[in-house]
Amino acid sequence: MKVVANSSLCQGHARCEDLCPEVFATDAIEGKVVIEKPDFPAELEEKVRLAVRNCPEGALRIAKGVAL
Amino acid sequence: MTFQWQPSSPDHVPADLIVDFDFFDVPAEVTDPVQIWHDLVRRGAPPIFYTPRNGGHWVFLKYHDIVEGYRNHEVFSTYQTPIPPIEPFPVMQPQGVDPPQHDVFRKLLAPMFTPLAVRRMTEGLQHRAHVLISSFAGSGKCDFVADYASIFPTGTFLELFGMPEERLPEFLELAHTFFRSTDAEVRAANLRDIYAVLDGMFRAKRDYPGSDIASTIVTALDEQGRPYPWQDILNCGFLLFVAGLDTVTNTMTYVWRYLATTPAARAHFRERLDDPSAFLVAIEELMRINAVSNLFRRVTHDCDFRGVHLRRNDRVILPNTVANRDPSVFENPQSIDLDRKVNNHVTFGVGPHRCMGSHLAKREIVVSLQEWLRVIPEFELAPEAEAGSSFGGSVMGFTSLKLLW
Repeated sequence: MKVVANSSLCQGHARCEDLCPEVFATDAIEGKVVIEKPDFPAELEEKVRLAVRNCPEGALRIAKGVAL
Repeated sequence: MTFQWQPSSPDHVPADLIVDFDFFDVPAEVTDPVQIWHDLVRRGAPPIFYTPRNGGHWVFLKYHDIVEGYRNHEVFSTYQTPIPPIEPFPVMQPQGVDPPQHDVFRKLLAPMFTPLAVRRMTEGLQHRAHVLISSFAGSGKCDFVADYASIFPTGTFLELFGMPEERLPEFLELAHTFFRSTDAEVRAANLRDIYAVLDGMFRAKRDYPGSDIASTIVTALDEQGRPYPWQDILNCGFLLFVAGLDTVTNTMTYVWRYLATTPAARAHFRERLDDPSAFLVAIEELMRINAVSNLFRRVTHDCDFRGVHLRRNDRVILPNTVANRDPSVFENPQSIDLDRKVNNHVTFGVGPHRCMGSHLAKREIVVSLQEWLRVIPEFELAPEAEAGSSFGGSVMGFTSLKLLW
């Protein structure tokens, strides 16, 4: 599984970084999401899902299966 | 309050969408100003209604409509929005400007308020919190508003702007008048005073720049390599002054009021002082339930929105506290769940104008709470504070919160 961000929707709430810093960070210029580990390990799935569901802009999603 | 007369509503508003509602009016028996908003929902007010009060304006009550109000700047502009209307109103940069012009100052300010930038401020905030709390901890009581919540964010503002601590009383006075005075002449003089102080500050920083936010703003160059217009620089300073003081003061006061009356919540935070992730989840829930600001927008053109006819220049208020307790989005929305898993609250807005200072605001609250609980682990409301002394308006809060420990 892979997590992807639509950076044009991201407004820098940084909830993803708060909830799952293992996968998400924010940049130093606009504070927008940076996905440091798009192919996250299975043990982080629950945390990643929580981060995705907590994005107020709906900018994150989990893509299954084949490479994008 | 009962009105003897009804101001007339514009003819494009159907009678069944009119509700007599004044968001400044908190009846004496209401101890918490957010209640006036939730009473609207409880009484079955239409999800989009018009009130003739305060110059006449619309009120949105559904989460998704409020979010649309924030996101869709082509219909809902942030330019010249005050309710009641004040024209001309200072054009706050970048809050009072719509995209794409809005992006210029947003991009200039953004790097100074990212999570990374705020993490670098943490030590300074911890020091400020510790010194302030230590100054009254031994006395066993305080007025949280006067002794902490109003001082802490103003002191933080001074530090970020590279201003000496000695000017704190002067800035506190300016802020107090700005946020509390209802006298038109006093307000006009206060605005002139604030702009005069900002003007002096930016001139000094232009001549002797430091590494602070004021220096960064005043020395910045546009794409053609020219300094920004002086009025824009002042308006940017004005926004940072207005946005970062009262909102933090009132949110803190709500949070401490809740903790003072809820031993389990104090224990919850105390047990998680060394677990930043769990601490943040709980803070986020307090941000949801204690949304103190309600923002304004102005309709850009005649249009239909969710079947309601809006006319150009109509004002709209977006009550965050109502959005944050919409049962179609939040499970058990009226109860405080410090472990709430999904929490897409709109306390800091959403869309292009999302509060840029949100990370700093949250960090001010997190640091304050950590330092407070280490020094004052148990506290309660003083008996005389039970009734509270609150105010409504665009930013809601309490004028006083007496605590004992």
